[in-house]
Amino acid sequence: MKNFDYIKPSNLADAISALKEYENAFLFAGGTDLLVGMKNNFLKPQYIIDLKGISNIKSFEYQEGWHFGALTTIRDIEVSETLQQKMPFLCQAASSLGSIQIRNRATIGGNLCNASPAADIATMFLAMDSQIKIISIDNEKVVGLDKFFTGPNSTILNRGEVLTEIIVPKDAEQFKGVYIKFGPRKGMDIGIVNIAVLLDADFESGLCKRIRIALGAVAPTPIRARQAEGLLSGNALGPDSINKAAELASSETDPISDFRASAGYRKELVKTLVVRGINTILASNRNS
Amino acid sequence: MVKKHQIRTTVNGEEYDLLVDPKKTLLQLLRENLDLTGTKEGCDEGECGACSVILDGKVVNSCLVLAVEADNAEVTTIEGIHRGEDLHPIQKSFVDSGAVQCGFCTPGMILTTKAMLDEIPDPSEEDIKHYLEGNLCRCTGYSKIIDAVNLAIKHSK
Ligand SMILES: Cc1cc2nc3c(=O)[nH]c(=O)nc-3n(C[C@H](O)[C@H](O)[C@H](O)COP(=O)(O)OP(=O)(O)OC[C@H]3O[C@@H](n4cnc5c(N)ncnc54)[C@H](O)[C@@H]3O)c2cc1C
Ligand code: FES
Ligand code: FES
Repeated sequence: MKNFDYIKPSNLADAISALKEYENAFLFAGGTDLLVGMKNNFLKPQYIIDLKGISNIKSFEYQEGWHFGALTTIRDIEVSETLQQKMPFLCQAASSLGSIQIRNRATIGGNLCNASPAADIATMFLAMDSQIKIISIDNEKVVGLDKFFTGPNSTILNRGEVLTEIIVPKDAEQFKGVYIKFGPRKGMDIGIVNIAVLLDADFESGLCKRIRIALGAVAPTPIRARQAEGLLSGNALGPDSINKAAELASSETDPISDFRASAGYRKELVKTLVVRGINTILASNRNS
Repeated sequence: MVKKHQIRTTVNGEEYDLLVDPKKTLLQLLRENLDLTGTKEGCDEGECGACSVILDGKVVNSCLVLAVEADNAEVTTIEGIHRGEDLHPIQKSFVDSGAVQCGFCTPGMILTTKAMLDEIPDPSEEDIKHYLEGNLCRCTGYSKIIDAVNLAIKHSK
């Protein structure tokens, strides 16, 4: 690891001015991506600005929608009883990330800003139609998460900007959902394909009111399968329509081949997982 | 010139005032400055859990924590959990179950188990596997480790 200076501001304003003042400064949240990158000399910051001294971005609350501070840890989401009741699918995605040691440190803001195509919480938040708040020294803006990622490990964030909050619209609670991280190992692995499905349906008649499908590890960024969503929304959920949507979702992906799987295998997997995701939600809600 | 940082940290109940280089990890601080070599370095990048310690009540990989972050914090390592002359009940359970072979993973396994039992007193087998998924063992095949955790749960009742 190269030498660097460590700065720990106690409020957001100081963090933002430090970010502006120092060239080659990196924000430091849980450090589970940053420190690994620095140890491997992929990242060589001269300054790191620890955000953990800023107390008001570490938790979440309901206020006309859910507001999650960027420094909320993955573990806090996983074990929150409120969230387990209101949005269990979000806790499920949190639970699938890394190990307990990683989840205790890793933050949701870090997961978004690191912008891995396979990022677990990012993929779930994308399905949840989330927005993010970005603050810089002279500006504050709210942007849809679907406009945030621009490629592997790259986002629209400019130098001097901090992601402070993730905002989930209040209707997220009306959905039933599931997160599937498909891979050879149950724990401690990056998914070959990840999928988040959120479904608002009349489970008696099988009418799909609204559906959202987000996919991870099948494109340069986590993506929404908008065409598949469009095909099902407002229509009956049957084997035919679900299979058609799965085909469509697969055609919306652009995966790479790597040591985990080939592009072709990933495309096939998407079909299987769209069907599995929807059927899992149907099966667990029909009788309830 | 890189600025060193003055920190005050409590490790296993003892307070230390230390001057640390920003790039020193908590793992290096424990092993090199405090001679607490029970905490092991395996991968040095968060994958293996050999470096697990309890930081302010939460189990973390000390290889992915900077020493400066331990300022005003409380750290518990394997050297800090015995009860006077006696081993901690979880340590005893690992010995009695034959869950220790080379022993390299053991401090991390035991601290993670301790963090789990402090949080979930009566975990299911599923809970145990999920909680310990970040602690790798190359020797035991894990079944004796699960036995040890179950024995520790039995003793704690
Ligand atoms: C062993 C291991 C296993 C892992 N397993 C998984 C997994 O299963 N799934 C998964 O998705 N990820 C996994 N990860 C990756 C990582 O843990 C997550 O991406 C995590 O959420 C990153 O959060 P962090 O707080 O640690 O980010 P950091 O490392 O602190 O930061 C990551 C990047 O984002 C920037 N950043 C952080 N916060 C902000 C902010 N508020 N505003 C602007 N920029 C910011 C930082 O400058 C840095 O570039 C794993 C990592 C390790 C080491
Ligand atoms: S040495 Fe820290 S997790 Fe392996
Ligand atoms: S006992 Fe040797 S690694 Fe676990």
